[in-house]
Parts: sequence; C-alpha cells; structure tokens
Amino acid sequence: MGPGEHHCHSGVYSLDAIGIGVDMQEAILFYILGSLAVVCSLGVLLSKNPVSSALYLALTMVGLSFVFVGLDAFFIGMVQLAVYAGAVMVLFVMVVMLFDLKKEEDSFSPGFFGNGLKVILGGFMVGAIASVIAYSTEMILSAPKITQAEPVDMSVKALARLLFTDYVVAFEILGVLLLLVAIGAVALSRIPGGTHADD
Amino acid sequence: MGSDVFEISVNFIKLVAIFLLMVQLVPLLVWVERRGSAYIQNRFGPNRVGPLGLTQLLADAVKFLFKEEFIPGEGRRLIFLLAPVVALIPGALAFGSIPLSAPIQVEAFQWLGQTWGPYNFPFQSFQFDIGIVFVLGVSSLAAYALLMAGYGSENKYSLFGALRASAQMISYELALGLSLVGILLIYGTFDFAEMVTLQEGPLTLMLFGTEYTLSFLPNWGIFYQPLGFVILFAALFAETNRLPFDLPEAEAELVAGYHTEYGGLKMNMFYIGEYGHMLVASGLISTFYLGGYNLPFVTVDQIREFFVQSQGFTLTNASLAASFLLHLVFMAKVFLLLWIFIWVRWTLPRFRYDQLMDLGWKTMLPWALGNTIVTAVFILWMRSV
Repeated sequence: MGPGEHHCHSGVYSLDAIGIGVDMQEAILFYILGSLAVVCSLGVLLSKNPVSSALYLALTMVGLSFVFVGLDAFFIGMVQLAVYAGAVMVLFVMVVMLFDLKKEEDSFSPGFFGNGLKVILGGFMVGAIASVIAYSTEMILSAPKITQAEPVDMSVKALARLLFTDYVVAFEILGVLLLLVAIGAVALSRIPGGTHADD
Repeated sequence: MGSDVFEISVNFIKLVAIFLLMVQLVPLLVWVERRGSAYIQNRFGPNRVGPLGLTQLLADAVKFLFKEEFIPGEGRRLIFLLAPVVALIPGALAFGSIPLSAPIQVEAFQWLGQTWGPYNFPFQSFQFDIGIVFVLGVSSLAAYALLMAGYGSENKYSLFGALRASAQMISYELALGLSLVGILLIYGTFDFAEMVTLQEGPLTLMLFGTEYTLSFLPNWGIFYQPLGFVILFAALFAETNRLPFDLPEAEAELVAGYHTEYGGLKMNMFYIGEYGHMLVASGLISTFYLGGYNLPFVTVDQIREFFVQSQGFTLTNASLAASFLLHLVFMAKVFLLLWIFIWVRWTLPRFRYDQLMDLGWKTMLPWALGNTIVTAVFILWMRSV
C-alpha cells in the first residue's frame, strides 16, 4: 500500500497534525523492527550456548516476520511466523536441547588462531555486505523514479494464482528439492553412529 | 489504530479490555474446573470459602502473590524468568483477533465542536484479512514457552515435559492445519468476520448446480465439515496439553512436567496461558463450525432492525445492543465448548506416548488429508455443474 492510499482524515486530532506523517510512521516502525532483527541475529553468532543461539534465531525470524507485516505483506509475514519460527525453529531448539553439547560448545570456542580466522572471515563478510549496499544504493538512486505504480493486488488469492500459474515450475522444483533434502537427512541418520561416527 | 483521537482511544480501550476479559475468565474457569471435577467424581470440591467456594479464588490469588520467589541455582536464569511471560503472549494475541461479536456501527455525531465519524468498530482487538493464518502463526509460538521453561529449570522432569510437549505440538499442528483446509475451501476466505457472516441464515446446500435450503438447520460449518470438526477438536485438545493429551505434565511420571520448578505468580502465568489457549480453541471452533456470534435463523441486520423498529433505538444504540446480545451468544457457545474441555479431562484417561503418536500421524493426518481432497473434489464438481 503506497502512501497515497492511506485514508487519513487530516483533522485537528490526527497524527499528521503533530508532524508525524505516514512515511515517518513507517520509517520509525521499520527501524525498531529492523534493529530487533539485527540485534537478535548478532546474538545468534555471539552466544556460545547453542540453545541460546537457536532461541535468538527464532527471535530473528519473529523480527523478520514483523518487518514483512510493516511492509503490508501480512500473509508472507504470518507464514514466516508459522513455518520458520513456529515449526522449523521449534524442532531445532528441541533437538539441540536433546543432546549433550559440551563438546560442540568447546569446539566453537577455539584458541587465538581460530578467533583470528573468525575475525578475518567476519571482516570479509562485512565488506561484502557493505559493498552490496553501496552498489545497490547507487543503482536505486540512479533508476528512473516510478511515480504512480499500478495498484498491485496484494491479496492471498492473487499470490496463489501467480504461484500456481507463472511460477509453478519453480514452485514444484523447490518442492522436489526439499524432498531430496529430507531423503538425504534420513540417509545420513542411518549411517551407524550417525555424524558422530568417530565417538 | 485509527484515523483520529476518538477512534484511537476506543481501539486502545478495546485492546486492554479484551486482554483483561481473557485474564479474568481464568479464575472462573479454574473454579468451574474444580467444582466440575468434584461433581463428576462425586465429591464436594472447594466449598468452604465464600458462597459455593467462589472466594477461594481470591485466597488463591493472594497466595500466588505472596509466595516466595524461587529460582533454581543451576538453571539459566534469564530463560527461566522469560518462559512464563512467553507463555502468555500467544494466547493473548490469538484471542484478540477472534471476532467476539458483530461490529459496532457508530453514526456521525457532534462532540467538542467537531463532527466525528461515522465509525465501524469490529468487536475484536485487531482485524486482519488473514486472521486464520495469524492465529496459526502466533499459536505455533506457544511451544517456545514450554521449551524455555524445561530448559531453564535445569531439571530432568522439566526437560522431559518440555520435549514431550514440543513433539506433541508439532505432530498435531499438521493435523490441525489440514483439518482447517476443508473449511477454508468452503468459505474461500481467511477472514474470521467474513466467515461468520457466511454462516448466517438457514442451511443452504449446492448440489449439482441446484440450491437446496433446509430451513430447520442453521447454516453452520459443522454441517458441511463434520469430519473436519472432529479432527480439529481433537487436535486442539492436544495443542492445549489437556487430558487425554497431558503427557507434558503427567503428574504420575514427571511431577508436574515443564512447570515443576515454578511457583507463585510465575506458575499462575502458565495457568493463564493454558486456559487462554482453551479460550482461543473454543473461540476458533465456534467461529469455524458453530456460526461464531450468529444467533441461529436470525441475521445481524434483522436484530439491529428489531431494536430500531420495536424499541425505538437510534441506529448507533441498536448496533450497540445487537453487538452486546450477540456477544452473549458467542460467549454461551464458548462456555459450552469449555465445559466439554473440562468434562473430557475428568472422563478420559491419559494416552500412552506411542498411542499419542499413532493417533496424530497415522490416524488424524490421513483422515484430515482425505477430508481435504474429498472436499476439494466435491466443491469443484458441485459448483461447476
């Protein structure tokens, strides 16, 4: 929904009167939710305890779904909440809790050399992300402005129609890919001793 | 929130009031649970404090407030303290999105030298076009509270309870989601309010392109989707962790399961979470299958019309009165379902764990899948002729 479509009464008692326009409200919301997601994803990386990491990841998913809601993509936001935060991460947290992860915890906190490697790799990552942001900002700023786009049908029906007509091949291929992953996981778990075969 | 101060304040009051409605129903439900169990088991139940033992709840509240705070030394403090708070959130959010009555229509009026309105206040905390997806998404987060409680307590029994709970919730969420697909296909909407409106009037069936009306039955979802109703009802029992699905807190095996280490107000918050889940479950069932806030055979407009014609109400007042009446109707349905929840708890014994998994994966999931396919084919066939 673009700013033009918000039906605002510009009465004396509206938010517009005290200088907070719709764009401003959306920006405030975005920065709060975005920083929640960023802080939580930092927590995933920085916490030593795997359960805390997994819980932070779940919070990141929740934050991301809120960002989607802030962009008026309610359906995607809620599906994100139900599938990733509600199902996938619950399984993760559950499995992580089931194991005694003392050994893994130690292997995640190696000595001076390992930490140095982490810092270097992290630096590369930060550089890559920063360059992508810089490059895409330039592209966005130089792109011709879209003055008034055609009103996009944001309903679930429209989404479903697109998914099952124009993008049906990609959709089905992704489904098969997920099936492959599931079969791979089953095959791995049937190796005697599993992934800890050397224990 | 709204476009001006009046609308924003009404919506804010609504938000708080509906949350308080949920929280305040909990002690009442605890009382019904105790007296009901006593009635079923041929006992008296709490009957000493106040009339019918009603002020026992007040004594309990005081006890909850003044109990000594206890935090396990070996546990993870932050996760332990956060778990009861997280337990409250999904129920409260989901309950807020269920329409508890017909929307209140307020005509334009003069106040403080300004013209206000007209407004249309839905009788719920917030309204989405995709209410069902929202409720599914939010209530799937409930597993975290149990997992966090189990992990934060650093107690074997708590951890076992938490693991059982999350395994059970994930297993039954599939059957729950699939059993809803049938009703979604029939109504063709994710919106609760629209779904309730579609259930107005007498039962109307579409068979081979001809419409048949059965005037002695209301147009409720249960008559279209009886199997979906049964599966959803059973799955919701599992989601609320109540008998016969109460393995996460099986007293005989796990002391009290995931909340073994909790006492006082923290324990109370888990209680509110559990009963809140029951309220949401009952609200969902009555919205999907029992016509929501609809009074059988009468439409909302007819009730408003009645208040205007025979009582001489203004349109705003008639809408208010109709919404109040329909709210009582909705709550009557919810209380009936809550009583069934309590009734079942004190009637059926607990499942064994393998029986639980068999029921979820090998019985309910295939039946729900079958229900979906049959409904889809049937709708395509009947509506295309």
